[in-house]
Amino acid sequence: MSTNGLVLDALGDWTRRQIFEALRRGPRSVGDLAGDLPVSRPAVSQHLRVLKDAGLVVDRKDGTRRIYSVDPDGLAGIRAYFDSFWDEALARFAAEARKERQ
Amino acid sequence: MSTTLTEAIRKTVLVDFTPEEAFDLFTARIASWWPVRTHSYGGDDVKNVVLERRVGGRLYEVTEQGEQDWGSVLAWEPPTRLLLDWQIGEASGTEVEVTFAPEGPGSRVVLEHRGFGDADPRERYSGGWDVVLGAFVDTTSKNA
Repeated sequence: MSTNGLVLDALGDWTRRQIFEALRRGPRSVGDLAGDLPVSRPAVSQHLRVLKDAGLVVDRKDGTRRIYSVDPDGLAGIRAYFDSFWDEALARFAAEARKERQ
Repeated sequence: MSTTLTEAIRKTVLVDFTPEEAFDLFTARIASWWPVRTHSYGGDDVKNVVLERRVGGRLYEVTEQGEQDWGSVLAWEPPTRLLLDWQIGEASGTEVEVTFAPEGPGSRVVLEHRGFGDADPRERYSGGWDVVLGAFVDTTSKNA
């Protein structure tokens, strides 16, 4: 499960998942997100950095603020990973059934 | 957001097994076919893959370091349906449903992996149960 390791690790943390879920409902600023979560603003910034490095969120400048939103390509990557994951797993399942029938 | 985000992955495979045999191979004997080398945290170090056969049971890999969860059983309906809360990495709670139906001399096995980009299903469930239990409480208090 290494192909999308960075993405998977990024969402393995509870706080980061809360941040990510909040962004799924719409773009938000760091201060805005920190107001809704039991963590400090610097901590939120750090989590956003991890999510950004994993390709899950993107940011843009809006005056003095930075607005974060979900990067649709990030989740598409997870989905694509599991698409081939199941192809391979089910091929092995079917092969084992064939082997036992012979 | 593009529709591919929420679209479920759906795979079908036909096997020369009855649904009972196919269900048993998929669950009780998962370690005999699961490709641990590529489909696990531990890779070649994985000694076993275990699916506990009951609602609430765990699906996990075993290495010398210990156990690592992959998911848990949300629905256990042998030999027709298995529903898993899929916790691997992205964990934000996708679901894997596997159904087994007779087809010709064998079975059709359909796997659906869904919930990509959805809110955590555990939150969805808890919301759902609040509503259900709320209705139950309403009914019982009216009758009291």
